[in-house]
Amino acid sequence: MRLQSPTLLLPIRHACRFTSLMLRILCFLLVPLTQRSFSADISFNRDIRPILSENCFYCHGQDPKHREAKLRLDLPEEAMRERDGVRAVLPGKPDESEMIVRLLSQDRDEVMPPPKANKHVTPEQIALLKRWIAEGAKYERHWAFIPPRRAALPEVTKAGWTRTELDRFILARLEHEGLTPAAEATPSAWLRRASFDLTGLAPGPAELDAFAADVAARGEVAYELAADRLLASPRFGERLAQDWLDAARYADTHGFNNDSGRSMWRWRDWVIDAFNSNLPYDQFLTEQFAGDLLPQPTVEQRIATGFGRNHVINSEGGIIEEEYRVEYVVDRMRTLGMSTLGLTLECCRCHDHKFDPITQRDYYQIFAFFNQVPELGEDGRVANASPLMDAPTREQQERFRQLDAATAVRTATLAKLLASDREKRGDAVVLATLKTHLAGSTASVPQGSRLLLGARATADGKTELVNLPDPKAKSLGAATVRASDDAVLGPVLSFDGTAGAVLSRDFGDLGKAWSLATWVRWSGGEAVLCSTMEMQMPASSGGYGRGIAVLLTAEGRVEVRHSMRWPAYAAQVFTSETVLPGRWQHIAVMCDGTRKASGIRVFIDGAECAKEVLHDGLTSVVTLSGKMRIGEEAAPEPHRLRGELAGFRLYPRVLEPALLRPWVETSLARVVTQGEGEKDRADWRRELLLRRTAVDYARLCEERDLLREERRLLASEVPTTMVMQELPAPRTTHLLKRGMYDAPGEVVQPGVPETLLGAWPKDAPRNRLGLARWLTQPEHPLTARVAVNRFWQQLYGVGIVKTSDDFGFQGEYPVHPELLDWLARGFIDSGWDVKALLRTLVLSATYRQDSTISPTLHERDPENRLLARGPRVRLPAEQIRDHALAVSGLLRQRLGGPSVFPTQPADLYKGIVVAAAYPGTTWTESTGDDLYRRSLYTFWKRTVPYPVLNVFDAPDREFCSVRRARTNTPLQALTMMNEPAMVEAGRQLGARMLMEGGTDDAARLAFGFRAATSRPPRPEELAVLRKMLERFRKDFTADDKGASALLKGTSQDAGQAAYAALGGLLLNLDETVTKN
Amino acid sequence: MMNCNQYSGAESRRDFLAKFSYGIGAMALGDLLSPRAEAAGLPGVPHFAPTAKRVIFLFQSGGPSHLDLLDYKPGLKEHFDKDLPDSVRQGQRITGMVTGQARLAIQPSRYRFSQCGASGRWMSELLPHTQKISDDICVIHSMNTEAINHDPAITFIQSGSQLPGRPSIGAWVDYGLGSQNENLPSFVVLNSVPSAGGGDQGLLARLWGSGFLPSKHQGVQLRGSGDPVLYLANPDGITPERRRALLDGLGALNRLQFEQAGDPEIETRIAQYEMAFRMQTSVPDLMDFKSETDATYELYGKAARQPGTFARNCLLARRLAERGVRFIQLYHRGWDHHDRLTKRIPVLAGDIDQASAALVTDLKQRGMLDDTLVVWGGEFGRTVYAQGSANHDNYGRDHHGRAFSIWMAGGGIKGGHTFGATDDFGFNVVENPVHIHDLQATILHCLGINHERLTYRFQGRQFRLTDVHGHVVKGLLA
Repeated sequence: MRLQSPTLLLPIRHACRFTSLMLRILCFLLVPLTQRSFSADISFNRDIRPILSENCFYCHGQDPKHREAKLRLDLPEEAMRERDGVRAVLPGKPDESEMIVRLLSQDRDEVMPPPKANKHVTPEQIALLKRWIAEGAKYERHWAFIPPRRAALPEVTKAGWTRTELDRFILARLEHEGLTPAAEATPSAWLRRASFDLTGLAPGPAELDAFAADVAARGEVAYELAADRLLASPRFGERLAQDWLDAARYADTHGFNNDSGRSMWRWRDWVIDAFNSNLPYDQFLTEQFAGDLLPQPTVEQRIATGFGRNHVINSEGGIIEEEYRVEYVVDRMRTLGMSTLGLTLECCRCHDHKFDPITQRDYYQIFAFFNQVPELGEDGRVANASPLMDAPTREQQERFRQLDAATAVRTATLAKLLASDREKRGDAVVLATLKTHLAGSTASVPQGSRLLLGARATADGKTELVNLPDPKAKSLGAATVRASDDAVLGPVLSFDGTAGAVLSRDFGDLGKAWSLATWVRWSGGEAVLCSTMEMQMPASSGGYGRGIAVLLTAEGRVEVRHSMRWPAYAAQVFTSETVLPGRWQHIAVMCDGTRKASGIRVFIDGAECAKEVLHDGLTSVVTLSGKMRIGEEAAPEPHRLRGELAGFRLYPRVLEPALLRPWVETSLARVVTQGEGEKDRADWRRELLLRRTAVDYARLCEERDLLREERRLLASEVPTTMVMQELPAPRTTHLLKRGMYDAPGEVVQPGVPETLLGAWPKDAPRNRLGLARWLTQPEHPLTARVAVNRFWQQLYGVGIVKTSDDFGFQGEYPVHPELLDWLARGFIDSGWDVKALLRTLVLSATYRQDSTISPTLHERDPENRLLARGPRVRLPAEQIRDHALAVSGLLRQRLGGPSVFPTQPADLYKGIVVAAAYPGTTWTESTGDDLYRRSLYTFWKRTVPYPVLNVFDAPDREFCSVRRARTNTPLQALTMMNEPAMVEAGRQLGARMLMEGGTDDAARLAFGFRAATSRPPRPEELAVLRKMLERFRKDFTADDKGASALLKGTSQDAGQAAYAALGGLLLNLDETVTKN
Repeated sequence: MMNCNQYSGAESRRDFLAKFSYGIGAMALGDLLSPRAEAAGLPGVPHFAPTAKRVIFLFQSGGPSHLDLLDYKPGLKEHFDKDLPDSVRQGQRITGMVTGQARLAIQPSRYRFSQCGASGRWMSELLPHTQKISDDICVIHSMNTEAINHDPAITFIQSGSQLPGRPSIGAWVDYGLGSQNENLPSFVVLNSVPSAGGGDQGLLARLWGSGFLPSKHQGVQLRGSGDPVLYLANPDGITPERRRALLDGLGALNRLQFEQAGDPEIETRIAQYEMAFRMQTSVPDLMDFKSETDATYELYGKAARQPGTFARNCLLARRLAERGVRFIQLYHRGWDHHDRLTKRIPVLAGDIDQASAALVTDLKQRGMLDDTLVVWGGEFGRTVYAQGSANHDNYGRDHHGRAFSIWMAGGGIKGGHTFGATDDFGFNVVENPVHIHDLQATILHCLGINHERLTYRFQGRQFRLTDVHGHVVKGLLA
């Protein structure tokens, strides 16, 4: 018999065993529990399909390209069909079934599986197959593709043991196996377990005492109240988020070679909030898959779609864009498969699935849903990759609401004052008064402009653009520009939308920092004010789209592009404020010479605008130089300007806003006192006059300006986050041959495998929202099962289906299939209520068992799949660190927010990370509270993970993962003993023992022990601790320097040093890092 | 991280309990877990008798120019600044960095090649020391990869897939073979600091990561500064004696807990803490170069006296090999010579030439080359056409995956042999192509591993380093 048992080789079991080899051999000999028959009847799903799938389907399954002898064993009619006089499966007659004949054959050319396949069917398995055929060879639909149903609760003998209905399923199996449940855990043990599972933190001594008292007083109710309290804790969201961050491959960097920083913490906040507010799980999925497609989506619902953008993004120069854009879609598919469907969808990227009934065509039909994002293949070198959005925090959103409301009040009052003034005096009076007021006022143009565009008549009666400060300048070319005259603004250039002007000579180099100022009277429509960007060459060329452009959107927002290579390496910002058509307004754009979008400032009529950053990916500064087009751009289908420009100036520096504003305002006032063009000039004049003469009006204006300024400053602090978005026109999706981006095959339409997993919901749109509806429809066979199984895994360390990422043919058959269905159905029927589900789980008798492991039970059920005892598993990485910080009093609790940078070795990145100054390539250690925040907030750099978490099996998050390994290694021991924060935690725990633990050593040691393990030490344990304490006290008494060194120079007291050493020891206890 | 199975004794729990004493101070658990010469990997592995017990991979990150180092193309001189013929390019894709270039102009190497060794192999003047070991090494001119950019190419050669997520080759070897030294990790990574610049590409933890294999198979970085292994040093105020006492106390308490809870994982944890304690001695011992002679430093070059250099790491690699470390992965960055190749390549060659040759010579002198496989090479080569314009003195070359050269030595590889060939332009392989998967299959073969049988089940599928490809290149084997 071969020593091969695949299910026992899966990662969860990799915690190594002391008696490794012997034990491993023993394990291999055991038949896995889940493949052992619970009942005497043979079940195709439980007993037969796993054998066929593992050994036969690869060559005799659904993939026609790989099918041998045209034989399919996955379909009964095919398996039983006669060919060449024999049938692979002949029901009732195992000895005449070719399958059995081949399995038993001694002939190397005949035997199945062929020796080359490296697969082996055991005699026990052959016996099972024979029995199955003898009993009629009944096929069943794969269990996971049948919608879950609630079976009747099984009969049990010891019904008194159960506390919830789910316990009946566990007990029935235990009774069948001749096992008895373990005794109930102590209240403290339960509280520790439940606290870790629901909040990620252990209970403090006071909580333990209060709970013990409550249990004594009120019994069972105390458990329920404690569970409710834990579920209501804000820490609940943090704990639950941790596992979902793995599934969603959340990280703070883009991955790949450059691995620069990104900002997705608003999405992480959303996840924490969603769990804390108990967002129903179907909604949880819907918002993440398609929040942007919901009717009038909220900011939060759009942020949620970052789930689809958490994948790695490549910014390596020279990559082929489409190759990576396709990879991002592929990643979304893999994530959908692992996190939600429990299917290895990615197998069908290149060919039909070898095992599961999913075709390559099915794959690309789902792919089509995720293929509609306006994203780039190469992006994200210096910031978030598009599409992205401003993602104000809840506090910021609230402040925006307050500011907007306050502004609205003032605007309304100003309008009233204006109206009442209109009743008092006529337009002519206003004009005359304003003129009087303006008579004495002066304001000069800011000095030092390099270029002033003007116009002059040419000899042949046309008008040409000129560089006015330089009278010898040659014609600037361009031609269909007409000039008119305005005494205040100077020459005016009119553009009719059919042509712009090209400056025929270079105007020089303004350097890195520059300003641009111009008067504009816009006639509406998308328009280019000026552009130096060359966009007529192929988009893959090096210099494509290098330059600077200022544009107006159709709504009148000012757009500034500062671009190295459009659009991947560019900063692109829009003002929130708009210019109005038909009015002379002043626009000033300043760039501070950095490559950041935040370095671009835009002013309308002298007032600074709030900006929305669409893209912030400029990799190096582009100077304002070279050829400039006015009123048009160099593109195959250029946008042009309809409207007028005047006083177009460029400055080789950033202007002082304080100088800009008085000049602009005075000039404006002068403009409106003459000319007849503007239809609303009368009201405008009245506004200007009131502002100059009416105290209350001026005060309100000033208040409004201050509010606007505060809003702008607030807007500049708003974080961005990457989101899903749909292309304006759908992208055609092709099946990709061999999965290759450059080998498109037939065109496919968005769709799902309806026969297999359920019909498309009626009236659902054919987009991601429809997909989300399909995934969460109550009859979906997988979504709820996969979810409840993962919550179960979170509690017990292993799921009811151990392969929590694979519910397909190659996945494990559930150890408690009826229980899984009972939970899944209940979850759906409860309205996908996550908290209710977890409440039931932690209050169950099953969960409340003591976790002591007897040698016989360990031999019988080493992974505790049958649950004849409570769970005992090493804590996940984050909780190991959080627990040490919490026990020592170092942990700082703050919900949500940007990632933090706790201490890590200063030279960790040296010689590894890319040597460019991209964000995310240096680790600037946090200060203050942020050094000791919960671990889920630690900056997650994919290519150089945070070592303390990495060593305890936290994944690098390059891809979706839903199961972590649990290893046990010497590097973990080194980390626990010597990592600076761990050492500090030990020191602080020592100090706490001295300060809070009581008056004698026994009490103090017991205090520390209990803080770490949630139970008092037993006498023999206390004896060990006391001996250790005495040893160290004596030791340090003779070594002041050593004591001082351990206490970081704060003291050289031997007692304190001994407690510090003991504090470290307590944090290293196996029990401290274990949920038991 | 490390394969803990490798460090734990094969005693039964009962034996362990019987031997264990519960007193404080007197206990020296390390003695109970007496070191064993070898710890098993997978049952049945190696599959057959190996020719190499260990591998030293001298990885040259960035893509060294085969045309300027190893692949002699005298005929190119006549084609200087001529367009690359379409018959050579054959429509193959090129990177986004040169798609905008008007011409692909042929750029001959400006370096002199001379014949060396018994075989009369041609080698560039940039590698004078490597020339001297010509008879010990096997040069492969027919390497090829599908990738044309660094990240996918380096991920491919190190893990068998262009995309992240697969275990690295060292992790596979650790998983299959286990350790030969229970006091050191069996897969060690050394990153060297180039003497000038060289950080154009990042190295990525995934290159020595364990992918879906248990994380204990990850490579352990030995660092040139600070703690050689992260968190190896005890904190201030904790002497080795105090650490020992703390471990005894910890062991006693864990043992008491084991009696109560019965979880074998507790025993494993005790053993891992003891292993950590032993590493606190064995790693500083490894990093203590006092015993190295002047003659050795002369062999490896002056730079070997300076921690963190490639030369130092080559010497350290030998020390690791002596201690039975299975897979020693070195990285040297800076070979990405898109421009100013002629200014930069002499510096890079200067960093690696003497030390690489010295390592082979040193291993040979110590009788270790026979069972140590040394591999030298990068993720791809460079184009025969210039990036930018052709120029006799100052040129650059873009990435080229269709053909490039590496060399291998020792551990069952045919010394002095040349394998495979490229066309007159060093652009296409024309003889005996060696794909990345073939290289991987061959390295595993030297270690006694059938690459088709070293598998790991993940997500319902048996995965292997070479995916569903790869052939052992018999022509390379001695």
